[in-house]
Amino acid sequence: MPDCDAMIENMPMLLTESLDPVQRELTHQHIETCPKCAREWAAYKETWQTLDTLPELEVPARVKQRFLAEIDPDLRTNVVPFRSGRAARWLAQAAAVVIVAGGAFYAGNRLAPRFRPTPTGVELIGAQTLPPATPYYSIAETRVLPAASINPQIEGRPDIQNVQFTDASASSDQIGVSFDITSHVTVTGRPTDKSMVSLLRYVLENEDRESPSRSRAIDWVRATYSRLDKPDPQIAEALANVLRNDQHQGVRINAADTLQSMQSAMTDSTRDALVEALKNDPNPAVRLKAVEALAKLARSGAVLDPEMVDTLQKKASQGDENVYVRVKAAEALRSIQPR
Amino acid sequence: MEIVQSGDFSPAGELYDRYAKRVYNHSYRFLGNREAAEDATQEVFVKMMRHANQFRNGAPLLRWLLSITGNHCRDKLRSLRVRPTHGEDGLELVPAPDDLSPERDLERQDAERIVQEALTRLEPDQREAIVLSRYEGCTYAQIALISGCSEGAVKTRVFRAMNVLKKALTRDAQETTNA
Repeated sequence: MPDCDAMIENMPMLLTESLDPVQRELTHQHIETCPKCAREWAAYKETWQTLDTLPELEVPARVKQRFLAEIDPDLRTNVVPFRSGRAARWLAQAAAVVIVAGGAFYAGNRLAPRFRPTPTGVELIGAQTLPPATPYYSIAETRVLPAASINPQIEGRPDIQNVQFTDASASSDQIGVSFDITSHVTVTGRPTDKSMVSLLRYVLENEDRESPSRSRAIDWVRATYSRLDKPDPQIAEALANVLRNDQHQGVRINAADTLQSMQSAMTDSTRDALVEALKNDPNPAVRLKAVEALAKLARSGAVLDPEMVDTLQKKASQGDENVYVRVKAAEALRSIQPR
Repeated sequence: MEIVQSGDFSPAGELYDRYAKRVYNHSYRFLGNREAAEDATQEVFVKMMRHANQFRNGAPLLRWLLSITGNHCRDKLRSLRVRPTHGEDGLELVPAPDDLSPERDLERQDAERIVQEALTRLEPDQREAIVLSRYEGCTYAQIALISGCSEGAVKTRVFRAMNVLKKALTRDAQETTNA
């Protein structure tokens, strides 16, 4: 029997998802069999959840004013004239002003627009607002734009790199300047807007895998979408893909847990992801969240297909499975309606 | 940041817009006082501009900013003994959302006050570790980099912090206090 003190020492790391899989499993198993440690664990979890009471505050506008006022003298004395910068920067300015490409028409058609601004829906805000005549702002990996569509006024100091040039040819007087540019873009809209859903789906599925920000994105999606009567199934599918593919167990746990709160958005593919996680995920805490989601689905009266029922039956009787997973699988079986 | 490092402060507003909310909230949770958090946010961004040459390009800027914020807040707590004001003076709490009834708003304010008071019971190093872990979602390795200590030290700080908070925030603890 492991030492209770050592197990209690592990508990904060269990909460912060910092324990290695072996220790994690060991600690969970100990908690299930030791009433004293189970009480301690419940208290740690309650504490962790209570800390969430503190809200995110908006920064009062006066702080920015004070900051800019304080650095203003520096701003005046330290400004480097644009032309006196490095050659690359000069080229970058030229690049942003003169964007001409012979293939504009072809590429413009190839890169279909994805985000449509509407009076009440998604719109682009920020340093530069697109003119009303522009039907879409396309969030794309690459795009080709005719110079005539570019505002000659460059706003702020966008970071422009990897500048390349295309010469005019004998058959065309069009030249081209291409570059990578990093802009900070804010898209606003209702949670139900298709464009917003697509954007969030992309963020959930493609954000940097090494970053804890994906868990934060999932938390935010849960807080926003679990309040809706019927969240868009695309959100649930994005979470299902995170559950299938993310390398971090904490992120997968969070994805499965969030799916549990979005029953009405579940599709067959989403349910399959939960079953796959229950069958194959190496982490017992992920399997537990997956079986809890399936149990909730069964309790809600949803019809589970035979494969799901089969998986639950196997899990309920699998001797080497985590005890809690087995119990939850049995619980789900008691309330299911076979298809 | 490369532009700032070259001596041109013109991206100041844009950098502020991008990171101010994170710095401000981190400061508020650290110091427990909105006015002090405002000062801290202003100071952190001024330091960022004036010491931009110390920033290593390619490193995450937010991590550097949180590190500056941590140093600033720890110094404040140690030297000026900034303590959040409770009781009659009250913490400056967030205005209630429009759809919250007065009773619910009072409950919310109470809950926030209890959490903020509990955080102030922690040593500055413990407070930084728990705030980075709970609210910024940082791993122990990231906290170690931000705080300039070992991962082992982070583990100890989080463990000790959680034990203090557990005594202050769990239902059993509250019932014992009220009894």
